[in-house]
Amino acid sequence: MATVTPPRTGDAPPRTFPKGTHPSEDDPNVLLEDDYAFYEPIPPYPPRTEREAEFYTLGDGEMFLNMGPQHPSTHGVLRVVLKLDGERVVDIDPVLGYLHRGVEKLVENADYHQTISQVDPLEYISSLFCEWAPVEAYERLLDVEVPRRAEYIRVLSGELNRIASHSLFLGWFALDLGGLTPILWSFIERDEIVEMLAALTGQRMLFNYFRIGGVNGDLNHEFMSRLGDWMSRAVVQIEAGEGLLNENEIFTRRASGLGVVDQATALRLCMTGANLRATGIPFDLRRAHPYSIYPELDFDIPTRTEGDSLARYLLRMEEIKQSLRIIDQCLEKMPDGPIMAKLPRLIRPRPGRAWAAVEGPRGIYGAYAISDGTDQPFRLKIHDPSFIHLQAVGALLPGNLLADTMAIMASLDPVMGGVDK
Amino acid sequence: MDRALARRLEARFGTALHGPARQRHDQTEIRIGAGDVQDTLRALHDEPDLAFTILADLAGVDTGTEMQVVYHLWSATTTDWLRVIAEGLSRDDPRVPSVTFLWPGAEWMERETYDMFGITFEGNRDLRRIYMPPDYTSFPLRKDFYLPDDAARSPGAGVRHVERTHSPVDAAPGVLRQTKA
Amino acid sequence: MTDRPAYEPTPEERAATPMASDQSGNVPAALTVAGSTAVSEPIVLRNELWAPADPNAYNGGRPAEITHLAEFGATEAGRRDDARWSGLLEVIPTKADYVLDLLRANSLWPLLSGLACCAIEMMSFATSKNDIDRWGAFPFRASPRQADVLIVAGTLTTKMAGPLLRLWEQMPEPKWCVAMGDCTCSGGRYKRSYSTVEGIDRIMPVDVYVPGCPPRPEGLIFGMMKLQQLIKDRRGHWPERAIGPTVPAGV
Repeated sequence: MATVTPPRTGDAPPRTFPKGTHPSEDDPNVLLEDDYAFYEPIPPYPPRTEREAEFYTLGDGEMFLNMGPQHPSTHGVLRVVLKLDGERVVDIDPVLGYLHRGVEKLVENADYHQTISQVDPLEYISSLFCEWAPVEAYERLLDVEVPRRAEYIRVLSGELNRIASHSLFLGWFALDLGGLTPILWSFIERDEIVEMLAALTGQRMLFNYFRIGGVNGDLNHEFMSRLGDWMSRAVVQIEAGEGLLNENEIFTRRASGLGVVDQATALRLCMTGANLRATGIPFDLRRAHPYSIYPELDFDIPTRTEGDSLARYLLRMEEIKQSLRIIDQCLEKMPDGPIMAKLPRLIRPRPGRAWAAVEGPRGIYGAYAISDGTDQPFRLKIHDPSFIHLQAVGALLPGNLLADTMAIMASLDPVMGGVDK
Repeated sequence: MDRALARRLEARFGTALHGPARQRHDQTEIRIGAGDVQDTLRALHDEPDLAFTILADLAGVDTGTEMQVVYHLWSATTTDWLRVIAEGLSRDDPRVPSVTFLWPGAEWMERETYDMFGITFEGNRDLRRIYMPPDYTSFPLRKDFYLPDDAARSPGAGVRHVERTHSPVDAAPGVLRQTKA
Repeated sequence: MTDRPAYEPTPEERAATPMASDQSGNVPAALTVAGSTAVSEPIVLRNELWAPADPNAYNGGRPAEITHLAEFGATEAGRRDDARWSGLLEVIPTKADYVLDLLRANSLWPLLSGLACCAIEMMSFATSKNDIDRWGAFPFRASPRQADVLIVAGTLTTKMAGPLLRLWEQMPEPKWCVAMGDCTCSGGRYKRSYSTVEGIDRIMPVDVYVPGCPPRPEGLIFGMMKLQQLIKDRRGHWPERAIGPTVPAGV
């Protein structure tokens, strides 16, 4: 049989319709293909780097497929150019920046307190952790001691946020594998937790709750009653959600063995968080480099050794249970006292540098703050785990089928707000 | 604050460090020159008594007079974070060797630093823009890239109290004062 | 000793530096609004993106004269049974168009266009607790060819503006646009950023603005209900939509 060389994407001219044959001919508002250049996955300039040249050269029988910034998976605006050999993915090139909002530059013109609300929308699902890292960094710059009650409230609200984030992960992971029910149950779960946090912080999502030296508002009656009410049902609800999936043969057979990472590769790829613990390395900042009041709390670090998507999923479910344990202990041990340290209104730290990192639902959230003695930070660099994990997708995808692309990405749990900053 | 770590680092790297290792809270900071980046980080990564295997962050900094690249590392052998600052990069053509040979995961972090500052990482196989469109010509986080209403630099500046920078009288804006802190 | 900072530019530097038009004191003559700058009426820009092939379409651009259906039913045109919706026919509201508007309002299919944080609240508005399925809008279509309403949820960056505009253009008429969240209404907290578009009304016509950061799902439901009311009110007549911030430049 003669070998057929398929035409390279981009060689074929756009399809033209003779006048009067296009189905939307009479609708002047519909854009017809021959009016504009179709969205070309190959960049219109010659490749400038080695990797670009390597990627944008097609082998035998390969094609490019552009998964554009708008696609049905719910991760957000991410564009992935896939190099496919039939149904198998040979290589990928993620294109970021569709949500780059310039937070690090905006923060340089804001006061220290204003930066807290600016960094909230980075990982919008787990906003409290995005606030926690910069706030800790500023506290190190200022040598501020946070009152114990504030620390307990931080841990309590943070763990609630972690549970909400992991519930959403469950929903999206199942959605990307085809299950439509768990996402609805996840959003019910999330809605309850988020209403609780709204009673505490005032907002359902971008909380703007942590302050330098403490938190903004104390626990109130509505929050405690909602929390108590929810805790009494929490385990049952979560296990119902898991029960939909853990024994589902389609789910387990698809997810197991998918996107396997081994320990050395995970460390080299700078992965952290649940993705690293699923490969067997028990690295959790709450135990490895304790901050806040975590040394006083009793909880385990779940770890798995398989390193595949199913392991990451099961690990996050176990983390939800550990978070519930932590919340229980926080409620028991909650001390009395102030919720904020005494600080001047205008924060003007001494010149210096500070780094702080917290363990968020996705990994290490870090903040590197440089102060130059004025009331605005000189530089705030946010380290975001989703950014790193998305890079790891390039190492995990090749060899898998196209349908598994989104499943692997969902199992690494990226949030595009954080990826693009 | 791990004093033993500071002593170990000074003993191991000696002349490569620009000054003593500084420590504050739970962080140890060492400063090296751009040319020593690869050797220093390889030693920190490979040697069993240092074992800084986890790269937590790679950041670029524009101090106004020079550029720096800052690495944050974690090791199981010490309770401190280690911050390695590669300093002395010029603002006109900042170049620093890449650490992707040790951590392939640093590739995107270096791309981001290049995109925001223009720092060229030699040895990075994929140094192109990551956030801004590929035909963008400026480097946004540099101190000479002004937002439309940068409070300190725009003529309409400082109407509100928070829009004025309360800097010491002789400080030039956008320049980091190096102090002993 | 004045407390004028050392770095404040001299008048020569100030004259030499190009400044953004929203700097205080810098209003180029072309943008000065003569007379009072009170916000009395929004400036509505003509819709120049497209024009129908038939110059008499959409009532030739004249506003609808007949507003009451019963009155209309008594006229010659009102007795005509014409159920075909097409941009090429004159769109004097018929009974069939009224029914069609009801159908459209009650089954608005949104396009999955969640960009950032507001997308989570949009998903929350679509799922069980605040169920948009009650209003018929459950299927979030992935393809713009099948969608009616574009709910832009999340910050629009300059890089994403091109693809978003392409999505809008690919949606067939009738289509509506809802700007959800502060970032899409006006740029929001990212208004001063170098890479965001200050409100999607700079690039596409918007029907309903839902402010909030993020707006509560109830807020978005209110916005959608306003949109439904808008659809039913228009009764087939497509007014010129304003594109661009509808605020005089001098304000």
